[in-house]
Formats: sequence, C-alpha cells, structure tokens
Amino acid sequence: MIEIIQQLINGVAIGGVYVLIALGLTTVFGILGIAHFAHGSISMFGGYLTFYLFVEKGVPLLLAILLSILAGFVLGVLIERLAYRPVRDDSHINAFIIALGLTMIVEGGNLQLFGADQLVIPTGLNHVYKFFGLTMPELRLYIIMSTFVLIVAMTLFVNKTKVGKAIRAVAQNRDAAVLMGVNVNMIPMIVFAISSALGMAAGVMVGSLFAIAPGVGEGLVIKGFAVLILGGLGSIPGAIVGGLFLGTTEALAAGFISSAYKDVIAFLVMIVVLLFRPQGIMEKS
Amino acid sequence: MNRRLHIVGYLAVIVFLAMLPMMLSVKYFLHLSILALIWVIISQGQNLIQGYTGYVSITQAGFMGIGAYCSSLLSLKLGISVWLTILATPLFAAVFAVIVGFPSLRVKGHYFAIMTLAYNMVIFIVLLNFSQLTNGEAGLSGIQPPPGSEGGLFDFNNRVVYYYFVLIAAVLATCLAALIVHSRVGKILIAIRQNEDLVGAAGITAWKYKLFAFVISAAFAGFAGALYAHYQRFINPEIFSVAQSLDAILAVILGGSGTIMGPVIGAFTVVFLPEYLRFADSLRLIIYGLILVLVTIFMPRGIIYVLQSLLSRVVSFFKPKETISTT
Repeated sequence: MIEIIQQLINGVAIGGVYVLIALGLTTVFGILGIAHFAHGSISMFGGYLTFYLFVEKGVPLLLAILLSILAGFVLGVLIERLAYRPVRDDSHINAFIIALGLTMIVEGGNLQLFGADQLVIPTGLNHVYKFFGLTMPELRLYIIMSTFVLIVAMTLFVNKTKVGKAIRAVAQNRDAAVLMGVNVNMIPMIVFAISSALGMAAGVMVGSLFAIAPGVGEGLVIKGFAVLILGGLGSIPGAIVGGLFLGTTEALAAGFISSAYKDVIAFLVMIVVLLFRPQGIMEKS
Repeated sequence: MNRRLHIVGYLAVIVFLAMLPMMLSVKYFLHLSILALIWVIISQGQNLIQGYTGYVSITQAGFMGIGAYCSSLLSLKLGISVWLTILATPLFAAVFAVIVGFPSLRVKGHYFAIMTLAYNMVIFIVLLNFSQLTNGEAGLSGIQPPPGSEGGLFDFNNRVVYYYFVLIAAVLATCLAALIVHSRVGKILIAIRQNEDLVGAAGITAWKYKLFAFVISAAFAGFAGALYAHYQRFINPEIFSVAQSLDAILAVILGGSGTIMGPVIGAFTVVFLPEYLRFADSLRLIIYGLILVLVTIFMPRGIIYVLQSLLSRVVSFFKPKETISTT
C-alpha cells in the first residue's frame, strides 16, 4: 500500500510536468488546430537557458527561471508571426511540416548554443522529507507546488479575463468571434506566447528533475500529445486530468511492471482509452 | 496528349535512373542513390495513406523496422533463404498493420496521427529493450545480401548490382501504387480524403478501403525495411525511430502529395538534401529546418507542381511535342 502511494506521489510530480507541456499544446491546438511539434524542443531551450544563466552567468536561480519564461513569451510571438501565420489558411498538414522544420531549427539552435552534453540544473534542493514511511524529495515538492500555481494561474487567465474569454471564443467559433470584434490576429500570438512560456517552465523542471539533452524534447512532446489524446484535443481540464493520469500510470508501470517498458505501457493505455472513448476521458460523447 | 506526356515523363525518369550508376563518379553517391530508391518505396506507401486517403500515419519507420528485423532474424537465426525472407516481409508488416490498423482507423485526423505515432514509439522501445531477440541497441550485424552468382552479373555484394535490384523494386512499387490509384479503389480513397461521410452515404464501407490503404502502405514500408537491412547488413533500432517516419511524411509533402511522381522526387530530396548541407556542419540541422519552413510557405503543393508549371510553360512556348522528352 505504502509502495503504491509512493509511486502515485512520484507520478504526480512527472504528471505535473506533462500537464504543463500539454496545456501549451492544447491551447495552440484549440485555437489554431496545429499539432505544434516543436513545443518539446522549445521547452528544452527553456531548460538550457536557465542552466546557462544560472550556472555560467551566476544569475540567481529564480531570476534565471523568470528570464527564461520571459524569453518564452518572446519566442512564442516570433514563432507565430514568422512561421505559422504564413500557412494559417493552408491545410493542417502544412502547419505540421512547419512544426517539424521549427523542431529542427530549435534543436539545431540548442546544439549550437549549448552543446550536446547532458545537463542537469543543480538546484541544490537535496533535502528529503519523510513521513509515514513515505519519502518526498524537496525538489519534487517544489515542482508539484509550482506546477499547481501555474495551472491555477492559467485556468484563471482563460476563464476570468477578457483575453481569456476571447481565446475561448476563437477556439469555439472563429467566424463568430471575428463578428464580435475579437482581434483574431492578436489571439494566436498571445496563445503562442503563453504556451511557449509554459513550455519553457516545464523545460526547467525536466532539467532539474531528470536531465536536458538533445532528443529529450522529442520524447516530451510525444508524451504531451498522448496527454492531449487522453484528455481530448483542445480541452484544458482534459490536459490536466490526462497529464496526471499519464504520469501516475507511468510511475506505477515503472514501479510494479518494468521500468524499461513503462513508456510502452503508457502508450498502450492511451491507445486503449482512445478506442473506447475516442473523444478523450473528459469530454462527453 | 496529356497522358502521353506523363508516360514520356515516367520513362525519362526511369531511363535517367537506369543510367545513374554510369554517371556517378563518387561511390558515396551510389550509396545515397540506393538509399533514396529504398525511400521511394517507403514514400509511395506513405503517399497512399497520407496523400490519397488523407490519413496522416506516423509509423512508417516502425513498419520498416518490423520488415528489417523479421527478414534479418529469419535469415540469421533460422537460416531461411534471404530471397524468401525479403519476399515474405510485406506479409509480416501487413499482418501487423491489420491488427493495429483495424482499431485505430476508427479515429480521424490528429487522433489517428498521434495513435500511429504511439505505435512507432512502442515498436521502437520493444526493438530497443527486447534484447534477447533484437540484441538491443547494439543491433544485428552479419546480415547477408540475397544470394546470387559470386562475382557475376547477379553478385549482390556489388553495389551497382544492388542498385539495379532496388531500382526494379522501386519501379514495381511505384507501378503498383499507380495501378491502385487509377483503379476504382484509388477513386474511393480520394473520395474518402475529400468527404468520408459522403462515401459512407453512397453505400461504400469506407473502413475497408482505409484499412486497405494502411496495410499496403505498411507492406511497402516492411519491404523497404528488408531491402535496407540486406543492403546495410547491419541494423539497430535507431533508424526505425519516429524521426524517420517524419521523414516519410516530409518526402510526400515536399515532393507533392497525392501524385505518383511527387514521392519519388521527395524521397531523393530527403536523402540528398541533408547530405548536401554537410558543408554547413553544425548549422546543418538549422538550415534544413529553415528550408523546410520556406518550402512549405512558398511551395505549399510540393516540388512536383513547380516542375509541372515550368514544364507546361516550356511546352506552350515551343508547341511541338518533341521538346517534352528533353525535360
């Protein structure tokens, strides 16, 4: 029993990172219908940038993370303006090819700027809390707390602010949103800015929990898409539930079945869910 | 006239490819050409499901891996003749494709794409971790080319001979794809892409045709995987990862999706372009990505359409038909 709870706790920390990745992907998908494959590499860029600022430049960790998230905003705007907007009216597969091209550009940029070494952000948070036979590393606790804060902030932004309302309006019916006076040129930019910033934050977490290296971003974005499938494409609550579900499934599979095949089990679960609930676990049929 | 122009175009391409080994002075380019022809087969398969049927499948490299490992293991461990194992690989891939395609073709669009992506991941992870059979990351080595006459005309150790072998395979695959596309089945596939509900309303069971396209695409990929394995004589899971499946999609889109010649041009592009960018060294990936983005923005219908519009301009400029064969 203790063991199961322990694995669930581990799963929540990983699942939180998936949620952040998936939130970025799902808002982009909801508004523009784009499978933004470059999201994982952008997220890795966040991890690299934080590492560079913190370790090489001696910027305090929190400030380095904030600067990275700010850089995410700028990067998101640039990507939308320069790469996705020109193909906005073409078929979705073209946007997907753009996404692949962007992935290569960002991956190549990461290699060029930061090298091919595997990096771990040395947060120095090594304390381990123990209670009732369970262990909780300090780092995981902070990660769970900060994902929680980011998720709540994102939900409030989308549900309570005027811009958030406009985003939901465009997602539901673009033409009607235009008629209501929503600036449909601004919305994709805002969405990409927020999505990239969230991705960068997730990259920092991956960089401190596990490691950042070339190729990690690809695995991350595939997991992000798996979460989207689980929760339903374009759904924010779906991304949250789906991310936690995938994270805990993976942790349980790693703990009780096989750590080498944990991804296989996670994907098989996703496939099975998709077969019985093609609209995702959160959506009503 | 238009049909004749097409046939002349196809023949010109085949003649050009048949002469290619004599024109290439650098051995390495012959190697790349063999790989490109193998990619032609993969891309033709991808084109059937993606270009014609409109279902973007991201698992072509996974099927390629199944083909490569089945053929290699059967010939290495059981000593079955390489000819037999190569010819059997499309079947293995097809059987697997039926099993995974039947349930997954119930979903559409991005759901289908991501589901197939998951299949590729699963195949990749199993190849990597099931080391008792696949030897894991170290891969399988000592794979033999098909037996032929040693030192003779059919010596498959000779790269030029293997080139012609793969060329014939690629031409056959392209012809088969063309036959399917121009048949009643092909028309239904295109109809599914354009409006699947309407196909159903017309009393046609769409899923059978979708499954057919998916299974054929997998069989092509499996066959190409076997050709690859017996050419390289070494395989490891790395070449059957998602990145290669994405390359297959790129080949179809860059060349021109939903055309017969498009995937051929696309396959050569995805094999040769990264090689030509080698001069840029570490910037290679960035430049390749930039080219992709620019091509998609400025040539959204693929290279084949740019070539076709150029060709029709030349034709209308000169009028007489003789000029066709020179292009």
